[in-house]
Amino acid sequence: MMIAFTFYLFAAIAVLGGVMVISSKNPVHSVLYLILTFFTAAGLFVLMGAEFIAMILVIVYVGAVAVLFLFVVMMLDVDFVRLKEGFLQYMPIGATIGLVLLAEIVMVLISRSADITTEALSHVAQPTPEGVTNTEALGRILYTDYIYIFQAAGLILLVAMIGAIVLTHRKRPGVKRQVIADQVATRPEDVIEVKKVRPGRGI
Amino acid sequence: MSATLPDLTPALPEIFVACAAMALLMVGVFKKDNLLKVVTRLGVLSLAIAFVIMVAKMPGLDRVATTFGGMFIVDGFSVFMKSLVLIGSMAALLMSQQYLIDRKIDRFEFPVLIVLATLGMMMMISANDFMALYVGLELQSLSLYVLASFDRERQRSTEAGLKYFVLGALSSGMLLYGISLIYGFSGTTSFSVLSTGLANSENIGLVVGLVFVLAGLAFKVSAVPFHMWTPDVYEGAPTPVTALFAAAPKVAAMALLMRVVLGGFPTMAADWQQIIIFISIGSMLVGAFAALVQTNIKRLMAYSSIGHVGYALVGLAAGTVQGVEGVLVYMTIYMTMTIGTFACILSMRRDKALDLDINELAGLSRNQPAMAFALAVFMFSLAGIPLLAGFFGKYFIFMSAIDAGLYTLAIIGFVASVVGAFYYLRIVKIMYFDEPAAKFDDNEFGTMGFIMGLTAALNSPLSFLLIYPLLGLAGVAAASLF
Amino acid sequence: MYKAIVFMPLIGFLIAGLFGRQLGTKASQWITTGLLVASAVLSMVAFMDVAVGGNTTMVHVANWVSSGDLNFHWQLKIDALTAVMLVVVTLVSALVHIYSIGYMSHDDHNPRFFAYLSLFTFAMLMLVTANNFLQLFFGWEGVGLASYLLIGFWYKKPSANAAAIKAFLVNRVGDFGLSLGILAIFLVFGSVTFDVVFAAVPAIAGQTFMFLGMEADVLTTICLLLFVGAMGKSAQLGLHTWLPDAMEGPTPVSALIHAATMVTAGVFLVARTSPMFEFAPFALDVVTVVGATTAIFAASVALVQNDIKRVIAYSTCSQLGYMFFALGVSAYGAAMFHLFTHAFFKALLFLGAGSVIHAMSDEQDMRKMGGSRQMIPMTYIMMIIGTLALTGIFPFAGYFSKDTVIEAAYAAHTGVGEYAFIMAIVAALMTSFYSWRLIFMTFHGKARGGEETLKHMHESPPVMLLPLVVLAIGAVIAGFVFSDMFVGEGRFEFWGAALFVKGDDILESIHHVPTFVKFLPLIVSILGFIIAYKFYIKSTELPAKVAGAFKYLYQFLLNKWYWDELYDFLFVRPSFWLGKFLWKKGDGGVIDRFGPDGFAAFAMMMAKRARSVQTGFVYHYAFAMLIGVALLVTWFMFTRGGF
Repeated sequence: MMIAFTFYLFAAIAVLGGVMVISSKNPVHSVLYLILTFFTAAGLFVLMGAEFIAMILVIVYVGAVAVLFLFVVMMLDVDFVRLKEGFLQYMPIGATIGLVLLAEIVMVLISRSADITTEALSHVAQPTPEGVTNTEALGRILYTDYIYIFQAAGLILLVAMIGAIVLTHRKRPGVKRQVIADQVATRPEDVIEVKKVRPGRGI
Repeated sequence: MSATLPDLTPALPEIFVACAAMALLMVGVFKKDNLLKVVTRLGVLSLAIAFVIMVAKMPGLDRVATTFGGMFIVDGFSVFMKSLVLIGSMAALLMSQQYLIDRKIDRFEFPVLIVLATLGMMMMISANDFMALYVGLELQSLSLYVLASFDRERQRSTEAGLKYFVLGALSSGMLLYGISLIYGFSGTTSFSVLSTGLANSENIGLVVGLVFVLAGLAFKVSAVPFHMWTPDVYEGAPTPVTALFAAAPKVAAMALLMRVVLGGFPTMAADWQQIIIFISIGSMLVGAFAALVQTNIKRLMAYSSIGHVGYALVGLAAGTVQGVEGVLVYMTIYMTMTIGTFACILSMRRDKALDLDINELAGLSRNQPAMAFALAVFMFSLAGIPLLAGFFGKYFIFMSAIDAGLYTLAIIGFVASVVGAFYYLRIVKIMYFDEPAAKFDDNEFGTMGFIMGLTAALNSPLSFLLIYPLLGLAGVAAASLF
Repeated sequence: MYKAIVFMPLIGFLIAGLFGRQLGTKASQWITTGLLVASAVLSMVAFMDVAVGGNTTMVHVANWVSSGDLNFHWQLKIDALTAVMLVVVTLVSALVHIYSIGYMSHDDHNPRFFAYLSLFTFAMLMLVTANNFLQLFFGWEGVGLASYLLIGFWYKKPSANAAAIKAFLVNRVGDFGLSLGILAIFLVFGSVTFDVVFAAVPAIAGQTFMFLGMEADVLTTICLLLFVGAMGKSAQLGLHTWLPDAMEGPTPVSALIHAATMVTAGVFLVARTSPMFEFAPFALDVVTVVGATTAIFAASVALVQNDIKRVIAYSTCSQLGYMFFALGVSAYGAAMFHLFTHAFFKALLFLGAGSVIHAMSDEQDMRKMGGSRQMIPMTYIMMIIGTLALTGIFPFAGYFSKDTVIEAAYAAHTGVGEYAFIMAIVAALMTSFYSWRLIFMTFHGKARGGEETLKHMHESPPVMLLPLVVLAIGAVIAGFVFSDMFVGEGRFEFWGAALFVKGDDILESIHHVPTFVKFLPLIVSILGFIIAYKFYIKSTELPAKVAGAFKYLYQFLLNKWYWDELYDFLFVRPSFWLGKFLWKKGDGGVIDRFGPDGFAAFAMMMAKRARSVQTGFVYHYAFAMLIGVALLVTWFMFTRGGF
């Protein structure tokens, strides 16, 4: 009962936070709502017994990604009001479609959920064995059964990195850089020029 | 506790490509001078080696090999589709060089990204599990997003990349939502388990999940109504990237679509057939009609690709071995036509810049008769004029639809190809009968000429000789899906 | 050997047709001509073999059709009938080839011309060697095609094009009859091979079928259909209008196709199918009446024509009429005999006329000729020989064949036979008149041509005269030498099974006709000569007077009995009107408006719609995707009703 109550509480806050992310006028507020959503989602994971994922969510998404977002949003001069101009125009029909979809999905979920669970559960892998922590269990399968997915995910991150560099990195000519090796390798002849100075003429 | 290393042999080509991509990256990073040419050649070489490995390590024509806990599958179908993808990527790589140099965006990351995208496609084709599917798809998509905005100084290119990214994220969201629904209702993500053990496949939840999954995949093959990004992205992206888009990812996504519906949900054929029919009709009609008013040849090719996906889906809608065979033949032929056409498009240069207005092709037959002839062959083939390869593709597709009793689909397809013929033939008319416009730059007979000539020969009536061997291979590949 | 005869012209055609430009004029000429001459020599050997040795054979070339009930092969049927045609075709063709080397020397398209000639010869040989109706039909259409190409050879001349199209269309009517006949034969007999069909004829004879409530005899119907085909090709009354116009083609073509060979295909067809016609007496009567009427009609028109080639063309038409009524009274041997001799003297006349035209700088109007006999003596002599043969003066070839034909008509002792006899005698009178009129107007009297023409007038080169001489020899002796073989005592041995006569042998009964019948043709021929001499040598003002006195008759003849006008009114104009109606109202107003044009407008509208959806805004695109998903989900919610 208590668990159910907590679940619905977190879930409701998560949905509400999601709505606020897209509807609030101030983009900084949006990011803050996003952080709220992440937190509640982490709570939901804890409820399900996946505390490792919950912690990762908090550390990575809240601690790093969302904060980065916050900085970006604050530094970029984007006129969000203008961007949202067309938004209201399509609001009614958009809302209708959204509601229809929502209603349909709800109907799907509440229909015959009982007789599905048994079959679905028969396919699910074994629950976490006794005496093994959640994190350790995850580690056991992550590098064995799911090595393929894990490596592929690594490649995706590599692509993301390459992409970020390709799209933003620029070689700027005319900017001085400190190259230690060059400094060390410099010899007097390269940098010192001896000039004869005639009296009264200057250089 | 101990864990045994999974059998890596089936995935050897993928592993090789992954290592090669990283090696290429290292070469590019640690060499000081610009290495586009070297890296491109090495990229082509490594894809070619991957092809050789794949064929050499093939488990046998009618044998299936799985690994990584059944997430990764290699069978006749995957080998066939991967061959297409590899060839398409190699062609795109070869065609890209000159353009990149002309546009002054000749950076070594380009071939690396294409190789990584190809790796993603190969993983998609071999995916036998929704998770494997998703990582493959994302690896491919992410590389393509970056490639689309590769010409970052040009607004259109960045806009194309951004649009593609945002809409792609949305489609990924739909796909994931569908996957989670399916997992929730069945308890598994494995295609093998899904295909055997769906006792209550009548459940509407699975159907809705399938709708979302197919929506996500339809986005990747740019089928109506998930096609809207296609014209903008095709137009905005750098032209070699467009060539790649039109060839390889389309084939890979099509393979994925077939793998999901036939490998994962054969028991729900009645349901997904309706979806496929819906998007197929939409694609054929939009592809035919919307292209009529286009003046930019890249946009035109975008609509053309939408239409062709529609035709290919007709074969899938039939849901028979014959139909899948038709799709495979169709995709093969479509790829040769597309690569050839883009080789021509990339040769439409004036003062080292591409000129893509269709009307600029006027009188090409007099200025550059060889290229005009090749382009005419592609246009006739795309239009499906008898004796050319494109005709055979359509023929097998429509025959399978008729055999499966899908008369409406066949008739709509026929009408659409008649309408579509108009704009293909218009290009031929402009080239051959209009007053000549200014001359394009001369291209020495190099890579481009070779690709043009080869693909034109493959599409010419000579294809008559190749169509039956191809049909045989496609038959074996198609059979492995059932 | 037979294969060589048939295929050498084809080889010539292929070489000259495909490589003519590379080979050049000379080489093309000599290759085609050489092959044709070789073919002609072999034909004569073959003729001797068949005529003297009596060796009829069947040469297998290839399996052709083996489909269900339809089963036949490509074979060359060699019997007396074929042998005669082989000699006629290859000999005349070879001579025409040689003649053309000289005649066409000023033309730029020699390779093409010679290729066509060889193609024609090949098709004609296919026709005469046919072993079944389909093979015959192939040759039949082949000669039609070659004829079309050759009539329109000077394609820059509008009148030549028009004539070519006319020839093609009129022949099409006949061909339609022939193809219907062949289809009917297959339907009734279940085969198209000659021997099989002929063997089954007696069993079929007398059977009837119902058509539009009328009872019709099967065999008669088939024979009449075949005869319609023969009428088209042989320019018999009603389907004759193309032949005079076909004179637009080069003169050697007229000699080859429109005198000696193609136009006799109809005669050959009826002779070949004699086993069928014999059991269809009504069809034979039709053949007789049509033939006789054509003979008199064409002769009467020839009286007043002024174009030298047209006169000869009508003369050909008339002589073909003779052949047909001979066939109609079952005197097949006589018909073939006349065909044989006619080939010589008519080709001679045509080539002679060509020589005259050549000499006169392409002038064809006889009113602008005259007085040229001193300048072109050889041609003059040749033309005289041809005329004597045509008018049937002893001992020239025409005497033997024409008299036999006329006597056969009398000897038939039937109503239609009597009719044919009277018509033939009157036509013979006319023939004599117009032939001599031609000679007198062309060679005698004052020179009416222009100064320029006279200055350039010259005798033809030897290469043109040689064929004339050969043909002249034929025109003189062919009748005398072959009379016995074709219609005399040797006829049974010669023809063998090639010709079939059911009742009494008519050629036997011609020996018992009254003496006046034997001499009447000769007498009217001399009479014709005297009248012509009176009109055109003695008192040259007479023709104009007569024409004035019988103005309407003259106009009637000059306008060829108004056949062209009649056809124009009956067929040409209504079809033009119908075509225009269907084009403007039917096609443009209905089909285009609701078909292509309407569809095109619809397509453009759709295209604009599609474009207006493509706004470029990301959220529109995303929205479209969502709508798509929502639609699909809703669709399944309703159809599956799974909740």
